[in-house]
Amino acid sequence: MISILDLLLRLTIWFLLTSDLSLPNILIGIAVALLIPRRYTQLSTLKDWLQILWEVVVAIPQAYIEAVEIMVRPHTEEDIVTERVKPRRTPGLIFLDVFVITFTPKTIVLNHHEDGTYEVHRIRRPRRKTKAKAARRPWS
Amino acid sequence: MIDNISYGLMVLGVVFWFWGTVPLLGHRSVLYKLHSLSVSDTLGSMAIVVGLLLKIPREWPLLLLALISLAIWNTVLGYVLAYCSSQGGGND
Repeated sequence: MISILDLLLRLTIWFLLTSDLSLPNILIGIAVALLIPRRYTQLSTLKDWLQILWEVVVAIPQAYIEAVEIMVRPHTEEDIVTERVKPRRTPGLIFLDVFVITFTPKTIVLNHHEDGTYEVHRIRRPRRKTKAKAARRPWS
Repeated sequence: MIDNISYGLMVLGVVFWFWGTVPLLGHRSVLYKLHSLSVSDTLGSMAIVVGLLLKIPREWPLLLLALISLAIWNTVLGYVLAYCSSQGGGND
């Protein structure tokens, strides 16, 4: 599955770059796409790919919404959280996961651990003081 | 109408650029600055290119390629910078 998507990606870039859909150009594009070396990795399912591609599409408007949010209401607090990687992720899917998380302005992936976790740095609005104080007093 | 939307998007992009670039001069952590840079560099530049796309639609293949490149390179470079800044005292 990954090889077909890989091929499609290469052809898309080729056609965007040349913007020419004549037969010779199509043949050259296919030849180039096949000739460029590629890395063989384990197969991932089509469902996973469609899901992550949909997440990429959703991330674009979400990124603009978050950008306006952090412009209108300052997000001055920052912290680092750990998120679990979904099971059975191939390197290509992990790349897109990292892309989706980092693309939105409030979150940036710092690191990906082999044990299946991401370190994510995020910014957020300051907590209200009353709530923070209440949280620090467990007996109340 | 299209012209107005196009100019609006370009103005929005420039506003994003300035809003995200000014915090670089402040005293926050590198990671905090990266968050605002992703607003200005990635989203601001993408808004400007979409504005251009509406203005000169016949150049759509190159502008679309520019959009994809902007999204991928800016985001991945943001990740690389964040990764390097968090490793502290490694090979540098």
